[in-house]
Amino acid sequence: MTWTDEELVARSIGGDSESFNELVLRWERPIYALAYRTIGREEDARDVCQETFLRAFRALPGFRGQAKFSSWLYRIALNLCRDWIRRERRAPIVQPPEDVDVMELAAAVEPSESIEDLVARKDLSRAVERAMALLPEEQRTAIVLKEYHGLTFQEIAELVGCPLSTVKTRLYQGLTVLRRELAKGEARKTKATL
Amino acid sequence: MTEPVCSYTGDRDEALVMFLYDDGGAQPAAERALFEAHVRACAACRDELEALRGVRASLARWAPPEPRFGGPNQQSAIGNQPSSIGGRLRAIPAWAQVAAALLVLGVSAAVANLDVHYDRSGLTIRTGWSARGAAPSGAGPVASAETAAPWKADLAVLERQLRSDLRPAQVSNASAPAVASHTSDAELLRRVRALVEESERRQKSELALRIAELMRDVNVQRQADLVKVDRALGLVENKVGVEVLKNRQQMNYFIRTSGRQ
Repeated sequence: MTWTDEELVARSIGGDSESFNELVLRWERPIYALAYRTIGREEDARDVCQETFLRAFRALPGFRGQAKFSSWLYRIALNLCRDWIRRERRAPIVQPPEDVDVMELAAAVEPSESIEDLVARKDLSRAVERAMALLPEEQRTAIVLKEYHGLTFQEIAELVGCPLSTVKTRLYQGLTVLRRELAKGEARKTKATL
Repeated sequence: MTEPVCSYTGDRDEALVMFLYDDGGAQPAAERALFEAHVRACAACRDELEALRGVRASLARWAPPEPRFGGPNQQSAIGNQPSSIGGRLRAIPAWAQVAAALLVLGVSAAVANLDVHYDRSGLTIRTGWSARGAAPSGAGPVASAETAAPWKADLAVLERQLRSDLRPAQVSNASAPAVASHTSDAELLRRVRALVEESERRQKSELALRIAELMRDVNVQRQADLVKVDRALGLVENKVGVEVLKNRQQMNYFIRTSGRQ
């Protein structure tokens, strides 16, 4: 039987640590992905992810279910990311391509995907990562929450604490910057290959 | 007919974003239909919408690296311990880390049969597999040395404990080949072959990927170098051209002045 998040939360508050572990297993990847896309560093994203669950575990008795458990977790993670960015006082860092584990990547190659496709896919992924790193934190957060976590505009507004229209504006502005940056990258690539 | 310039009267950016995402039907149907009609007539909005869809498609290609979390057992202690090594180390106080380092040093010394001797003649350290009888003749009684260096007794206890711990492990290691001999050779061979094949396959993929990346990088570098060479040549040509022009002007001047004279 699969428990809902809310049921697992209730059982965790009742002292069932296995239920909390279930929540961790269920949400660790989305939270890690959120942290990674927000701060851009693998190691720090992992730390943020762990700290998120640690804080959630400690604060669990105070969780009254006003919001969805996932929204509550996202909020903790986003606050930690924000703290991290302030502490580091810098824009998110895009990891250099050298950090890419080629073995892992090669293992992930689907039989139908050619090497050229794989290189192109990796290039595009890097280009997106670089372009995302150029965005101001609030635009990046809006895009990450919308694109990769499927939150509604209303949920994002509640999560980051801003009006609904601001979320839409941030998304529009962020997407516009990305469009420009990706086009620039594409133009550079075309110029280099000519 | 399509309009080249957008004439939408509402908040265009907001409407574009709403239209782009749909947002689970949060946008009223009438509003959506209105904007849809506008998009059909407005080339600017249509183009922008298409471009933003392209951006979304690109965004979908960005996947974060696989997280290297600990297994479920490690995560089970989430309330008490972070599971990453870095996190765990940070959770341990500095004094405990120093104590652990000293303990490791002591254990290593015991394992390496390091003989640390402290007596009236001073501190003697032998990395020795040599006999203890070879110790300097001036060495005092063991009891006095232990009094002078009380940690040595602890080290000795630790050494004894370590040796007794190691003994069962050695026994189990010795019995391992006997167990292994029961495994059928054919099965073992099959497994090894499978492992080798798997390894070869991975290496091939990796090699192909690296070569493709290398070729692309070389090509990009070549293009960049060509552009640099081209620019440098252009500069040289410009300089030469300017020099030739100056010379020609000087010659003309000389000819003019000599003609006057």
